Amino acid sequence: MNEKKYWSPVTAGILLGIALFISFMVAGQGMGASGAFARSSAQIAYTVDPNFAQNAYAGKYLKHGNALLNWTVIEVVGIFIGGFISALLARRIKPEVTRGKGYSSGKRLFFAFLGGVIVAAATRLTRGCTSGQALDGAATFSVGAWIFMLAAFGAGFFFAFLFKKQWKGVE
Amino acid sequence: METVFPLFTNGFLDNNLNLMLGLGIGIIFGFILERGGFGTSAHIAPVFYFRSLIVPKIMVTAIITASTLILIGSLLGYIDFSQIFIPTTYLWAYLVGGIIFGLGMVMSGWCPGTAVVGIASLKIDAIFFALGLLVGMFFYFNIYEYIIDFANSGNLGRFTIDKLVGGDIRISYLVTVGVSLALLLFVMTMKKVIDKKGEN
Repeated sequence: MNEKKYWSPVTAGILLGIALFISFMVAGQGMGASGAFARSSAQIAYTVDPNFAQNAYAGKYLKHGNALLNWTVIEVVGIFIGGFISALLARRIKPEVTRGKGYSSGKRLFFAFLGGVIVAAATRLTRGCTSGQALDGAATFSVGAWIFMLAAFGAGFFFAFLFKKQWKGVE
Repeated sequence: METVFPLFTNGFLDNNLNLMLGLGIGIIFGFILERGGFGTSAHIAPVFYFRSLIVPKIMVTAIITASTLILIGSLLGYIDFSQIFIPTTYLWAYLVGGIIFGLGMVMSGWCPGTAVVGIASLKIDAIFFALGLLVGMFFYFNIYEYIIDFANSGNLGRFTIDKLVGGDIRISYLVTVGVSLALLLFVMTMKKVIDKKGEN
């Protein structure tokens, strides 16, 4: 059976905007993502070594008990569930390494991992990622959101030549 | 008229109920992100080569939709805009952090939110990206004390557009819509130019 088509960008955008609005109206904050990874990382480190509660950065996550008892963490669990339901209904669940034609999947996975390390550190400097900083911030008129977005997408375009082979023909 | 929104910050929801509703809100986000096409790096990376405009189109439409609703609700007095969480702007940290973020995004083809959806549909590259995120966070926790001054440099507080250019929330809204549409027009034009050259 074939997979279902994606929504048009305008349909998806309007629905995402309405969902963001609902989130702001209910919780007072919008969509978040990177914070959940930061808290997970802190909780794992704390489980391995309780002294980690003294860490200069992660201490703030751990001082109220479990770092995972937090709105953004629970909302990200929701994103996973919602993404799974949609992908299941659309018959889009299949193991896959997205990469350019002829590009080795080992190299691709290495860059996916390294990119993750880089993105994570960046989100701590920028207090959020494309969700919690760019999308939420722009929808609530924050100047910082635009500084972040212009810098991030500008750098993406600038560094794109380095990864041409990895993404050759991918669309 | 009584300002009741946001419900949680105005005391109409207790913490546990807010967390439970957060799960439901997340499910809605996840469904929309997947159905919009954010669940694969094949829709994210090509943006940087002007091959796909799905992501910028969705982002701009979402920003305009949400900000329009926030503007109307605030002008009608139903929303206390000052109660909505907006991250503090740190000019220099955001500029440098943003550039680093962009490098990581084009390298990996993911950002944290889209990767969650990618993992849900078994994209192996999303799983590796997420493992990288956990390691990168740990790395940052351990270097933070050495970069603490830089990480907090250029603190402008809760810095909305009206504080930069003057006026009120209506000006903020007009600038937001204007900048969003201008950027969309820019990437659409770039795509046309590159399509014509046949470089893709």
